[in-house]
Amino acid sequence: MVEKKEYKLNRLETTKLIGPMVDKHWAELREAKEHGEKVAWCSGPLFIFPYAMGMKCHFMAGYAAYCAGRKAGDQVLEAAEADGELMDTCSYHRLHTGMAAAILRGRPVRKEVILPIPDLLITGRLCTEMAHYAEALYRRLKIPVVAVDIPPPRRKEDLPRLERFVVRQIKESLIPALEKVCGKEFDEEEMRRILRVLKKATTLRNQCWEFFKLKPTPWTLWDYGVSIAPVFYMMGKPETVPYYEKLLAELKERAAKKIPAILPDGEKYRLYWDAWLPWAFLGMFIRKFVSYGAVPICGRYPWEFFPHPEYIDPDADDIVKNWVELYYTKGHQAMVMMTEGALEQIMELVEEYSIDGLVMFASKTCRAWVGQREIVNEIERRLGVPGVIIEADMVDSRMVSEAQIETRLQALFETIDARRRR
Amino acid sequence: MIRGLEPFLKAVENPYKTVSEWKERTGKKVIGCYPMWLPKELVHAAGLLPVVVWRSDEPVTIGHAYVHTFNCGLTRSFVDDAVRGKLDFIDGFIIYRTCLQAQELPFILEQHVRPAYLEYLYLPAIFPGAATKDFLIEELERFKASLEEFTGKEITDGELRRSIELYNENRRMLRRFYEFRRKNLGVLRAREVMAVVWSSMLVPKEEHNTWLRELLLELEERQEELLKEPRVKGDLKVVLTGALCQTPQFEILDMIEDLGMVVVDDDLYVGSKYFANDVELDGNKRPLEALAEHYLKREPTCPTKGDWEMDWTDEIAGMVKRGGADGVISLLIKFCPPHLCYYPDIKRGLMEAGVPEVMIEVEHEIVSLEGVRTRLQSFAESLRRGA
Amino acid sequence: MKSGKKKPSGRAMGAAVAGVDIGSIFTKVVIIDAESYDIISFSIMRSGASHENASRSATKDALRAAGMSLEDLAYVVSTGYGRSRVPFADRQITEITCHARAAKFLFPDAHTIIDIGGQDSKVIRIDAAGRVTNFVMNDRCAAGTGRFLEVMAEALEVDLGKMTELSLRATKNIEVSSVCAVFAESEVISLIASGHEKADIAAAIFRAIARRITGMVGQLGVQERVVMTGGVAKNEGVVRALEERLNVKITVPEEPQIAGALGAALLAAESLK
Repeated sequence: MVEKKEYKLNRLETTKLIGPMVDKHWAELREAKEHGEKVAWCSGPLFIFPYAMGMKCHFMAGYAAYCAGRKAGDQVLEAAEADGELMDTCSYHRLHTGMAAAILRGRPVRKEVILPIPDLLITGRLCTEMAHYAEALYRRLKIPVVAVDIPPPRRKEDLPRLERFVVRQIKESLIPALEKVCGKEFDEEEMRRILRVLKKATTLRNQCWEFFKLKPTPWTLWDYGVSIAPVFYMMGKPETVPYYEKLLAELKERAAKKIPAILPDGEKYRLYWDAWLPWAFLGMFIRKFVSYGAVPICGRYPWEFFPHPEYIDPDADDIVKNWVELYYTKGHQAMVMMTEGALEQIMELVEEYSIDGLVMFASKTCRAWVGQREIVNEIERRLGVPGVIIEADMVDSRMVSEAQIETRLQALFETIDARRRR
Repeated sequence: MIRGLEPFLKAVENPYKTVSEWKERTGKKVIGCYPMWLPKELVHAAGLLPVVVWRSDEPVTIGHAYVHTFNCGLTRSFVDDAVRGKLDFIDGFIIYRTCLQAQELPFILEQHVRPAYLEYLYLPAIFPGAATKDFLIEELERFKASLEEFTGKEITDGELRRSIELYNENRRMLRRFYEFRRKNLGVLRAREVMAVVWSSMLVPKEEHNTWLRELLLELEERQEELLKEPRVKGDLKVVLTGALCQTPQFEILDMIEDLGMVVVDDDLYVGSKYFANDVELDGNKRPLEALAEHYLKREPTCPTKGDWEMDWTDEIAGMVKRGGADGVISLLIKFCPPHLCYYPDIKRGLMEAGVPEVMIEVEHEIVSLEGVRTRLQSFAESLRRGA
Repeated sequence: MKSGKKKPSGRAMGAAVAGVDIGSIFTKVVIIDAESYDIISFSIMRSGASHENASRSATKDALRAAGMSLEDLAYVVSTGYGRSRVPFADRQITEITCHARAAKFLFPDAHTIIDIGGQDSKVIRIDAAGRVTNFVMNDRCAAGTGRFLEVMAEALEVDLGKMTELSLRATKNIEVSSVCAVFAESEVISLIASGHEKADIAAAIFRAIARRITGMVGQLGVQERVVMTGGVAKNEGVVRALEERLNVKITVPEEPQIAGALGAALLAAESLK
């Protein structure tokens, strides 16, 4: 009988720096109004525009990660429920109506997760529920809404006309609204500056990504997940570049010395992780993965964050168009929101990163990551790589069963083992 | 006994049979349109038979392998039908982003039904601004061209106008029918009213208009006699709201009436939302533009359209006032995100307006009707004690 | 089985009326004096497989305790899950209306009623006149029901009646996060396996129920006085956890389990008028 190997997670040093950076960001946001700054609540890939105007900006999904990090998710959800929300509603949506309930009706919620009432609600309707979220907040807070429809394309030939549509909305609705709220002209130069920093950060980040190809891998998708803020809601901040420089240096060192992400000698299973990162349950999942010698390597959601920094052109004539191109004609990022585009990308990831199995994280209150079951069926059929569906939630702990997760993961690893023996 | 109702009731008994019979009889190709706001007039003008897809009355079986359990009944049932081959007699499908769940469908249809025609339309949210309208018109132009390519025949403005007029006539008669219901409470059963609207989504409009003309004639002629012997006897008046995209089980409608509640009005999709507005044609306007304007109408409020300023609650409260209703029954389709995201505000709004309301969750596979009955009966009891 | 006789007050006896509450687990019968509203007798027994049989035998027990026969009952109202299966009932009324009626009768200033029964739970709001203005009901999953408690007690391997006592000895704040009985059962088992004290787990189970019910209460808003009825109200641990969560004082009637039947009997008395 083979003795069971004891695996252990080997944490990176650099990722320990992210906590204070993120805390500072949120503290600045909370205090913004006191300093007379304008605040926007935002969803979809639009936050660069309020940033260019010097607004402080809160981002929908980022707030979930923030709440989860402070173990306040359940409390905010409870405030939402006490305000009439039903459990089947999107957890991100409930987090925001819960926070609104805390502000408006004094529902008890920890102070550090209460954000200032914004001057503007910006919704990018990449996911339709991002529009519902702004609508619901409008009904409660009566704050101006500016909305941009961002339809996920099904086919490549749809990209140009959808791109034109999005560009027009940004120019004709979003920018004038920002100008009105801020009382100044749109600051194109600031947007270019942000893009310059972002281009550097995302280029570095892409070099980091390359290390996921190594076997054994020197880092995990969770390390990447906690490092998301610098290319996400912290975009354009000068400290984002040194962060990725440090991360890259540490990864290079690990690669040179062949230090794996999990000890003693690296992973037994390399996993693709689909959909949201499970913000409130990162620790629980990684402990389970590591106990089996498994590592999550790449995923559709992290991939959404600028896989093609080469297309970012801070000096483009039409800077708005350049931004939208990242999601449409050049970067194709919006395509991962439809099964067709997602399948194509995931197949590439499975091959390039030598993936052994797929873990499809299915949030019971979220239907944004379409095609999960079909993707498992198709990848099994086309590439012979098995997958498993895990039904849980990105925030709501009441919908998460560790025992169920354990069983499904074990079944996945058994399937992979069986194929290896063949 | 109202004879004029028979063809409608028969049509909805088995939609699969109804649609395939009409396909055979007319020799036309059938195009399944996903609810709710597709401009079906264009499909009609292309010489095709547009039908609105429906939820079957069977539990989901192998469809579970293709779509998550936490999707709505229509989505799950439609996918189940698709993978089981129950939709093979339909020649084409048109899907648009009603909600996130609809985004799953084109891929599944292509994999499992392989229809001769499949169109995924980008109908935008009705966010204000010229960009929306221009994009919508461009999208409808493209849609028209894709239909023309499929049929090999041009759609002229004249043909489109005629189709629009035919649809408008249908809507006008359905509105007259609803007016009759409001003014003659108890004459029509809720399931009959729903069958009349639902069948309009399944059979050719030409035929439906003929049926409607006869029905209206009969109702208006026999009004006094029918009023003397109302078929629904109830002491309470209610408004039904919700049920986006699909019909609730008719048993629920029967139960409402059996408990002494008469439906005075509704804002259901398979109800007054379906025929609320005509497509406004005037002499100079291109019919395609008229279709775009129809789509962009902000009333009746629909949470799938992304309009944040219209208040659905006000609309419902207005309906209650007009009909002198005692309360509102919300039919919330289980796992319908657009409704879920709105519902807490409706509940609070109606509470603040002093309008009693109860919510019934409509599931595709009803576990037990007893729970529904307890809610409805309690609601009726509370309305009576309040009187 | 349990039955009892309450002492009628000195007032003149009117006709006797009964309320029969057929729940998913227990059947409860209350006989009252239609004039004075005094409880003459009551009985509680397992519902078993046949609601009809349960209604007959429970009524027989209550009648025996009162020294009466079925013919002495001037009016019978049935309520609860099996309310339509009581052959001798004059009228059937839902348990929501009945619990509201009983709570109002017992505590005239009641505004919020939490009824946790064997297989479902309800929160009911009533106005100053005792009229139901709103309610929410959970009957689709065991979360926050007597059944949930039973399953958890089994997983803990403790007697349901001793769970409160056990929970009072809790020292650590642990969490059973799931509200689904199936999920929560496996959570409890793994908490035991990982060496947590049963006392801590018992307290966590009560908090899990309280959390589910708080969500329902939230949909209507809390308005005092809050009265808790239904069999689970006899479990002090749940009541305390709820009080803590809702931050209100909860009143529990002497016999919370028969509140539905009492309400039905009161409505029966009113039907005579």
